[in-house]
Amino acid sequence: MKLRLFCASAVLGLCLGSSLTAHHSFVAEFDDKQPIKMTGVVTKVEWQNPHVWFYADVKDANGKVSNWGFSGGAPGQLMRRGINKSVIQPGMTIQVDGYRARDGSNNASGGRVTFPDGRMVFTAGSEDKIPGEKK
Amino acid sequence: MKLAACLFALALGAWAQKPDFSGIYEWPKSPTGAKGRGSATIFDRRNFAPLKPGGELFIEPRTGDMRHDEPRDFCLPAGFPSGMLSANAVRFIQNKDFLVVAHEFQAMTRLIPLDGRPHREGLEPMFYGDPVGHWEGDTLVIETTNFKRWSLDDYFYTDAKEYRMHSDAMRAVERITRKDATTLKYHLTIDDPKVFTAPWSQEFEMKLRPDWEQMGIFEYVCEENNRCPGGVCPKK
Repeated sequence: MKLRLFCASAVLGLCLGSSLTAHHSFVAEFDDKQPIKMTGVVTKVEWQNPHVWFYADVKDANGKVSNWGFSGGAPGQLMRRGINKSVIQPGMTIQVDGYRARDGSNNASGGRVTFPDGRMVFTAGSEDKIPGEKK
Repeated sequence: MKLAACLFALALGAWAQKPDFSGIYEWPKSPTGAKGRGSATIFDRRNFAPLKPGGELFIEPRTGDMRHDEPRDFCLPAGFPSGMLSANAVRFIQNKDFLVVAHEFQAMTRLIPLDGRPHREGLEPMFYGDPVGHWEGDTLVIETTNFKRWSLDDYFYTDAKEYRMHSDAMRAVERITRKDATTLKYHLTIDDPKVFTAPWSQEFEMKLRPDWEQMGIFEYVCEENNRCPGGVCPKK
């Protein structure tokens, strides 16, 4: 399924961005030609190796809710940067910038997380690509 | 008896003069700032010796099979030297008989004898090889042999068309010295006679990070939650 929705909804926005990239599995798992930007409510956080995953219920333009998984860096890499599991908790509303999984499933890299108050957290692995950023 | 005691004391004195590299460090980085597209350190091809005829196999095209192109995505080991250059914290623990290198990436642990023993014999080729170390003045020299053919470095993110592999004949020599109070010089020589016409080397540095001391090395169990190996994620 080709993902091409637009930011018409305050809850879900998928925009085509520019640029690229990767943690130890980024190229193998995610498609740098399918950048995503979506907003949802966190349902679960897995603070585990080799990459943290967090999940969010995302509503599309038709009001349909889907649960998406987002991959970040390794817990150790993030904690050494001062990011621990309390940063993202179930119930929080987050906007995620990343790239969609190569298999077209509801999974994506989640390199950048932005909260409603504008705070931004880079959950990316040290080698991840983040939409709009050049490495 | 007195002579033995004197010799023992002299030996202890000699040991006591050796640098102690124990501490927690950043992974080896190029002091020139040269790096690949990812954060892991890669070799600069300008340092490579010319390839031998047939050495072209060293740079082989990706096949699209992720088990070949990126085996780490299936939690297979990075191997040495690739794993040593991964972008994670590294702890050195040293006594007179061993240097233990505990690297956070994939919980890589290298136990390097410093007591003069030779390489082990009769082993199957290994991802991380068989290391032994000795001192040359204040330089710790680690020679590692008995590798299986595996990825040389983390070139995956720099050029998607190439995959660098060392051969099973590779011999790696690390030379570690102290540059200053917070920096190690980490000189790595790759001697791979099936691939290159001559040994070649690259110089790296490792920064001591006492601010990471309390946090230490984190657990890294790759199999714990490797959700999308090879790009295939579980169905929801």
